Amino acid sequence: MLKRGIAGLVLIVALWGGGVFLFNVPDYLLPSPAAVMARMAFLYENANLLGHVYVTVMEIFWGFLLGFLAGILAALLFARFPVSERMSTPLILLLQTAPKIAIAPLLLLWLGLGPAPKIVLVAIVTFFPVMTGMLSGLRFVNKSYLDLARVLKLSPLQRFLHIELPSALPTLFAGATVATTLAMTAAVIGELMGANEGVGYLLSSGQENADTATVIGMVLLLSLMGWSFYELFEALRRRMEARFAEG
Amino acid sequence: MITTSGLTKSFDLEGGSILALAPLDHRIEKGSFVSIVGPSGCGKSTFLRLIAGLEDASGGTVKLDTGSAKRPVGFVFQDAVLLPWKTVRDNIRFPLDTAGVRRDEGNRIVGELIDLVGLTGFEDALPKQLSGGMRQRAAIARALSDDPPILLMDEPFSAVDLLTRETLNDELLRIWQRTGKTILLVTHSVEEAAYLGSEVMVMSPRPGRLKKTYTVDLPHPRGEATKLDPAYHQLVAELRQDMRETE
Repeated sequence: MLKRGIAGLVLIVALWGGGVFLFNVPDYLLPSPAAVMARMAFLYENANLLGHVYVTVMEIFWGFLLGFLAGILAALLFARFPVSERMSTPLILLLQTAPKIAIAPLLLLWLGLGPAPKIVLVAIVTFFPVMTGMLSGLRFVNKSYLDLARVLKLSPLQRFLHIELPSALPTLFAGATVATTLAMTAAVIGELMGANEGVGYLLSSGQENADTATVIGMVLLLSLMGWSFYELFEALRRRMEARFAEG
Repeated sequence: MITTSGLTKSFDLEGGSILALAPLDHRIEKGSFVSIVGPSGCGKSTFLRLIAGLEDASGGTVKLDTGSAKRPVGFVFQDAVLLPWKTVRDNIRFPLDTAGVRRDEGNRIVGELIDLVGLTGFEDALPKQLSGGMRQRAAIARALSDDPPILLMDEPFSAVDLLTRETLNDELLRIWQRTGKTILLVTHSVEEAAYLGSEVMVMSPRPGRLKKTYTVDLPHPRGEATKLDPAYHQLVAELRQDMRETE
């Protein structure tokens, strides 16, 4: 599986390089793989590429953490007090259905060009799948476990810690896994809209300078970052599934 | 002692309600082993769940004369209902841990119970690694761990193969004789009911109600000799006849 995957990647890079060479494609349309690599090395040495990666990673980290915690807290609140869900559903849906690309300028107006608006945007997109995952986990706890809790006269806190929370972990992490790809996109949208650092900033300055090699390099870098982030949570989700789901 | 007076339960359905249990007056002496038999829909499980407080009565009362016991009943469900994220040991000690029993005291009790139900060597296994019979043994051990004066068992052996079932029956008799608990066991098997019970309640459906009770005076301890006793066969035949009449 992994071997075939690598073979496939090598093939694509070879076709790309071969095509550029054979048809003599100009650099501003499609630079060769080697040119992109050289450009990346140049950015690494002269433009603090790792520093920009760090900025983007931190925006995603804090935004994701914020959205993750807020999603869990909201799910707990909604599960405990259904009226709170009915009250906040319009606001959540409004925020959720508004295109993120349309919210970003507003956040930039309010919070400036620094990491803050990106963190908030990431938190907004992370919130929804995490909240729904946690809430459906809490709502669909095996009825027999609740019977057990009742026979044992567990306190609400004991019931939550020993039964509801473990039951909700698989769907919580399924939601979080979905949120990883959304979070990545949100951070980059925020940076494209206005920033002076971050991978998205390098990408948009590459575009302004018609520097196709930089743009392609940044796209590949973002894919790699998003993919790793996704796989991390997918692995966590699988562990939760194995340990906490029935069967 | 368990006393029910006028205990009744109806469930609301679309366009009406059905009477799951017609008013039931009955008295179960402390330390008796009551088998409850009857066809599906006769209210035997409902009766048990009402005693356990898992259902609210539609009328009448249940009185449990269990003194100051904080948890008057232990319940063994039809499927073991072990928490899949806890090991066998942690499942068995769950009632103790949630009652604030000291760790070393809990370890001692759980060690004894694991011996009693024959799960030595499987303490650290997860429920999904056990066979159905072993899961049910763990569930029985859990129900016994915080020493409730009343043990309610809702068809606990229906998913267990015949040989294991007979072994578990004998273990249950041993436990009953040793601890003097009041045990109520719902079963589909008239043989099991006669073999285990000091009293057999026969229930009939539409609406669920108590049809007849038998006092079983087969001598103790019971064993293979009991199954050859003509009195045992006489009782089984009568119970089977009752069951046929209720269909």
